[in-house]
Amino acid sequence: MKKPLQITVNGEIRQFFAEPYCSLLDALRDELLLTGTKKGCDEGDCGACTVLLNGQAVTSCLVLAHSAHDSQVTTVEGLADHQKLHPVQQAFVDHGGLQCGFCTPGLIMSAVGLLQENPNPTEEEVRFAIGGNLCRCTGYNKVVEAILAAAQAMQNKLKA
Amino acid sequence: MTTSYQTIGQPVSRAEGPDKVTGAALYTADLNLPGLLAGKCLRSPYPHARIKSIDASAARRLPGVRAVLTGQDIPENLVGRMLRDFPMLAKDVVRFVGQKVAAVAADDLDIAQHALNLIEVDYEELPAVFDPVEALEAYAPVLHPNFMKYAGRADDPQEHPNAMARATWGIGNVAEGFAQADYIFEHTFRTPHQHQGYIEPHAVIAQVDGQGRLQMWVNCKTPFLLRRQLSEGIGLPQDRIRINPINIGGDFGGKGSFMDSHVAYWLSKATGRPVRMVMNYIEELMAANPRHPAVMTFKTGVKRDGTITARHARLIFDSGAYGAFRPQKGITYGIGAIGPYRMEHSQIDSYLVYTNKVPCGNMRAPGAPQSTFASECQIDLIARELGMDPYQFRLHNLVRDGEESPLGHHWRNFMGKPTLDAAVREAGYQAPKMTPPDLAADGGDWKVGRGIAVCERHVGAGSSTAKISVDGQGQVTLYTPLQDTGAGFYTMLRQVVSEELGVPYNEVSLVPWSTDDARFDSGVGGSRVTHVGGQAVYGAARAVRAKLAALAADLYGWPESQVVFKESMVAAAGHQAVSLGALAARSGGLVEGDFTYDSERDEDLTCFTAQVAEVAVDRETGQVKVLNFTTAQDVGTVLNPQAHQGQIDGGVMQGLGYALLEELKHEDGRISTLTFGEYKMPTIADIPPLRTVLVQSQSGGPSPYGGKAIGEQPISAVAPAIANAVLDAVGASVTQLPITAERVLQALRSQPA
Repeated sequence: MKKPLQITVNGEIRQFFAEPYCSLLDALRDELLLTGTKKGCDEGDCGACTVLLNGQAVTSCLVLAHSAHDSQVTTVEGLADHQKLHPVQQAFVDHGGLQCGFCTPGLIMSAVGLLQENPNPTEEEVRFAIGGNLCRCTGYNKVVEAILAAAQAMQNKLKA
Repeated sequence: MTTSYQTIGQPVSRAEGPDKVTGAALYTADLNLPGLLAGKCLRSPYPHARIKSIDASAARRLPGVRAVLTGQDIPENLVGRMLRDFPMLAKDVVRFVGQKVAAVAADDLDIAQHALNLIEVDYEELPAVFDPVEALEAYAPVLHPNFMKYAGRADDPQEHPNAMARATWGIGNVAEGFAQADYIFEHTFRTPHQHQGYIEPHAVIAQVDGQGRLQMWVNCKTPFLLRRQLSEGIGLPQDRIRINPINIGGDFGGKGSFMDSHVAYWLSKATGRPVRMVMNYIEELMAANPRHPAVMTFKTGVKRDGTITARHARLIFDSGAYGAFRPQKGITYGIGAIGPYRMEHSQIDSYLVYTNKVPCGNMRAPGAPQSTFASECQIDLIARELGMDPYQFRLHNLVRDGEESPLGHHWRNFMGKPTLDAAVREAGYQAPKMTPPDLAADGGDWKVGRGIAVCERHVGAGSSTAKISVDGQGQVTLYTPLQDTGAGFYTMLRQVVSEELGVPYNEVSLVPWSTDDARFDSGVGGSRVTHVGGQAVYGAARAVRAKLAALAADLYGWPESQVVFKESMVAAAGHQAVSLGALAARSGGLVEGDFTYDSERDEDLTCFTAQVAEVAVDRETGQVKVLNFTTAQDVGTVLNPQAHQGQIDGGVMQGLGYALLEELKHEDGRISTLTFGEYKMPTIADIPPLRTVLVQSQSGGPSPYGGKAIGEQPISAVAPAIANAVLDAVGASVTQLPITAERVLQALRSQPA
């Protein structure tokens, strides 16, 4: 039976009902209609459903919605400031870090999670952070390039 | 080649990028409609069985279930892209594990899944055949006794009822060529199923509206061909079916088949409500349309000096239980198998064979990664046997510009040697081989080797249409029937408009068409889009430009031939320029132009690829580590270098997966690798440093501005380059993909002491 829960999603308190077995991914997509978070394998292998849960990048298909009760969740819809893209989003566009765009929200959330913890990562740290995100289009090189450029842009902004 | 373009040739970023990085871009499974039901199919657990009975009564009684359909409830029409051999739901017989036998539409997916568990099917198992070579034996069960009645089948006589198609190509007489040889080599190679691995599974929404018209949203890159297949299956005329545009989350050849489209229609028709069907990834790996496995025997005759006298390839492609996902009537798989080598006698015999396994479809360069693996590995085995360096052996035999290809074509401006030389140079092929210090320190017995492989592939052809409009505010809108698979052509097409009309590419609005809006489009794939879609858009842009120039001549008395389009302005020397919008406004409405481009494949033009892998192999464990990978690609004008490089990086990555990791493993017809944990695709940890060198061909290609093709070219030579590098490193000849540590170790142990 569906039970009530409350999650702060992209800064907004959302109260809704979900089955006890409902994943955070399904809750985001089906209950809150936030379809930017993608369902690829639904088994924790592809990373397309990655969101930030209390600041940590997690595969939302492996998190029960109710276990995220009273938590903070950030999805890809919560990054841009009105029309202005988040630096990670902008870098993915500028550096060709996306093609079909289906794995992209997950990759971007992994990258944002990394940069929140480690604003100045090495290339190796970037590669490690996206090790759980499958992308079948890009071959990953331009993704790494994009994340490193985003880190640089965010650093420059802090200094300015 | 001239490079006096404004936008063409610039590495501009994706105009559609912002939508894709914010979650705004919609894919099929993201759509919601009032009253939307969830559809799901029950699948066969047996590879070959007779359906004795189906009892769906308990499922029908479950609250929330709106329809349950079996093969009894829908017409028996067989469907397919060309060969129509696939029942929409199995009625009497199932022929592979995962075949659909019943379908449910319910209020939500949980109820639908529960309902499937309540359906009782009584099966009687039948003898099955899993190996395509065995399927051609006299004792093999005949999988399609009614094959001769199927629509769309190949006309040529079959050697065995399980051989759904065969084709032979070649020149000369191979028996004569072998008689001239000093040595004859024969080797057999095997390749596995490869799943396309798009992250977005197949998805479809069908809605039968009040007038009985079908509205469909589906991640299909060939919507016009799908519309025809739907019509043949469900009996609605094509003009009663509308396939709506939607983003596609990766294709790689796999998103051209119908999957659940017919079933979704029947469920919507039965319930009067829209139905969404999304395959989960277990279903994807079990029952989608992966690349054909192949068993390939190559016989090659050579002179002592390394000159090839004849080559005979016998290629057996395992099609699985149905041929319905194959778009050609005959077969084209393996057509380039013989390699780009000079010879007077060649023969390719290619077969497509039924087995009780997942039906196969197209994946990036269908047929070519299989045959290139066999062909290019054998080249190295022969070279080494003759004591020649594999590079020198290839140089000795490679077709030169102006010579006849081994299938009798006369490739114009053939770039084989310069491209091969570029790859060898860029890769440092001839430099000393050093084991990297981190590997040397880890205690294994690592050896470094380098391997080369080459291939060539056509520029695709087909038909496309485009329309461009300019309104009184200067807004330029491009209409295209091409659906965005992600390869970057929505930006490349905008660049073509930008180039011709002098407006910024990212201010060109792009509107994808539904199937109602255009006559026909061949769809995305087959190294076609830059050429065919590009020429359609180019033609439409030239048509608009001509209308605007005529308008300016008419209004302002400018010489029509001197009108230029630049920075959103229209100008002529010595006159005050006007904005594009102001000029269009004077027409009294929109200025529109459209163009339909039809083309046949030009067999005398090809794109050449040469790749070099550098690997380290641990003799103790058989582990292979790719240290560096170099691609040299023959190109014409590169319209967008960023997207072009993206195709090379992605193609090489899929080739690396094919070489080292990917295999749908079977046990008696049951695929056991049903998750990404078991079906291993490359992650970032698997990607070595990649180098690319582009070799400019003077003639260019048939795409606008002289572009060639890149989507399929970079994948086929990757696996043999790696296999040849392993052979170079430790002398182990691995003739079966993927090249796992176990297979390397086995090959090492089977070496003569």
